Amino acid sequence: MFALVSTPLLGSIGFYLYQSLQREIAWRDDQALLGRLERMQALISDSDSIEQLRSRPKLYENMLGNRENLLWIVDDTGKVLIEINPVGMTLPKLPTAPHARLVDAHSAASVRLAWQDVMQGDRGLTLIAGKLLSERDQMLAAYRLKLWVAMSVGALLAFVLGWWVSRRGLRPVRMLAKRAAGIDVQHLHLRLDEFNDLNELQVLSKALNQMLARLEDGFTQLSRFSEDLAHEMRTPLSNLMGHTQQNLRYSRSIEDYQNLLVSNQEEYERLARMIDSMLFLARTEHSHASVNYESISLHDLVEQLCEYFEGVAQERDVKLINQADGELWADPVLIRRALANLLSNALRYGAPAAEVVINSLAAEDRIEVSVHNQGQPISVEHLPRLFERFYRCDPSRNQPDDSGGLGLAIVRSIMQLHGGQVTVDSSQLGTNFRLVFPIRNA
Amino acid sequence: MRILVVEDESKMADYLRKALTESGYAVEIALDGLDGQHLAQESEFDLIILDVMLPGLDGWQLLQIIRRKWQTPVLFLTARDSVDDRVKGLELGADDYLVKPFSYAELLARVRTLLRRGPPREVEHFVAGDLSLDLLRRRVTRNGERLTLTNKEFSLLHLLLSREGEVLSRSLIASQIWQMNFDSDTNVVDVAIRRLRAKVDDPYSLKLIHTVRGIGYMLEVQS
Repeated sequence: MFALVSTPLLGSIGFYLYQSLQREIAWRDDQALLGRLERMQALISDSDSIEQLRSRPKLYENMLGNRENLLWIVDDTGKVLIEINPVGMTLPKLPTAPHARLVDAHSAASVRLAWQDVMQGDRGLTLIAGKLLSERDQMLAAYRLKLWVAMSVGALLAFVLGWWVSRRGLRPVRMLAKRAAGIDVQHLHLRLDEFNDLNELQVLSKALNQMLARLEDGFTQLSRFSEDLAHEMRTPLSNLMGHTQQNLRYSRSIEDYQNLLVSNQEEYERLARMIDSMLFLARTEHSHASVNYESISLHDLVEQLCEYFEGVAQERDVKLINQADGELWADPVLIRRALANLLSNALRYGAPAAEVVINSLAAEDRIEVSVHNQGQPISVEHLPRLFERFYRCDPSRNQPDDSGGLGLAIVRSIMQLHGGQVTVDSSQLGTNFRLVFPIRNA
Repeated sequence: MRILVVEDESKMADYLRKALTESGYAVEIALDGLDGQHLAQESEFDLIILDVMLPGLDGWQLLQIIRRKWQTPVLFLTARDSVDDRVKGLELGADDYLVKPFSYAELLARVRTLLRRGPPREVEHFVAGDLSLDLLRRRVTRNGERLTLTNKEFSLLHLLLSREGEVLSRSLIASQIWQMNFDSDTNVVDVAIRRLRAKVDDPYSLKLIHTVRGIGYMLEVQS
């Protein structure tokens, strides 16, 4: 990858350098040719005649110095007066040029020519200076070759170095991947190493570790829940099996059979209720569960519930006091269910001949509905776990009208669906459950 | 009254046949969708009870086939009570649905409702033995004596009288009287019935409100 990127980059740098070198050399050659023309012109105007010049060939031969350079002086009749032409090149036809002009000519060898028409007395002369390009071509070819070699070596180096650097740089990532691959359901407690020296990886591994912690929590809860569920179903099932088998062993009176069936029916209903509650929880825990918001009059809703529980309350000599008022924006079916669960608990665990007070409080950012009973306080260690499914303060307690340990879990789910929460505090004065609804700014 | 039951689970089919036969209906059983289609096309039924999960031809398909020709009421049974399933059934032309597990009282109540053609009669005056209830004047008398009932007690007695001879489950009573549409497991209904009995039945020798063990409550004049 690194090599893929670096090769075209090196290539284009080389190409650019080569091009500019070529242009630079061509420009300098041209300047030299033009300079030579100027000097020839000066020489001609100094010398009296061309003949004099022709008799001093050394002068300009020295001036030209090597075999690369060509020089012609041609008069207007086309007669060549002076010729220095070591490669024997034929004189090209050139258009007249009052000012110096440049052209590339190709005959025996490629050549760069500069020429100018000048007047000497009454005679028109054409001065032509040339330079063979072979040397320049050779030089450029050598340069090209060097460039190719340098670029190939560069590309190779880029590839090797890139591979090495990325391998070295990614080593923590590979370690991370290896570590992550080792984490499965049985090893959810494992965590990824924290890379303290590498900032990006430190953030990543921290985030992954936090995700793992959440997954572990969820997974533990789920597996404990499945275990609890199996346990909760086992109890009614063993009741059913035991009773039925015991009755089938000998013939019984019709009344015994009827009693058996009625007892079985109660267990079946318990199981059916538990499954209903489980399904309800499973659905409300999907965030896409539908909440049909309506404006609810809290006083009316609580009044309805008080009517529902009135009989049970009176039998226990408990007074239900409705102090709730105001409006609440929530799903009435779900809120009725949540409050019914709280009231049913308040009646079940509250002290007899006492009061259960349902109150409401409207604050700036929230609405609270609370259910307060006067009963034995709940110990502090139970409070945080009270809303877990199947959690019981006293594991041996299994009252006949028990909700199966799901009542408060349902309350919590309903509150989560509404973006709110349920809290509890308990003291000698009694136990207070609070439903807290955030107020949405419309 | 003839009822066709299409249900592949034999225990459930057997239970439905017994329950409905005992209640005085003639019952035919089909154990798969194709049988059900065959029976439905061959003879006329007053009600079809249809399980959704069937081998061969599922309940939805069978319902569509039936609806092309007949307007026989259809009650479908499902173990999946997702809202989508219910809406689908009702959209395809089912008249009602029951989610498994359903109670015996619930089954009979739904069947009766579907077979009772037309809207229920608006009865304003109920009489059972020496008990009478006047809905408009909200008066209840027994043996000529005026009884004082609370609003909820009156509604409860009205419900029992309007479904005289029918066993009503606790959950049906809770939902009809208090709009508690979930299974609340408190014994609220038992307490309410007990209090109603104290006023309506206890002072008199002829008892009208009966407990049907394991099922629910019923109002009936039994000699």
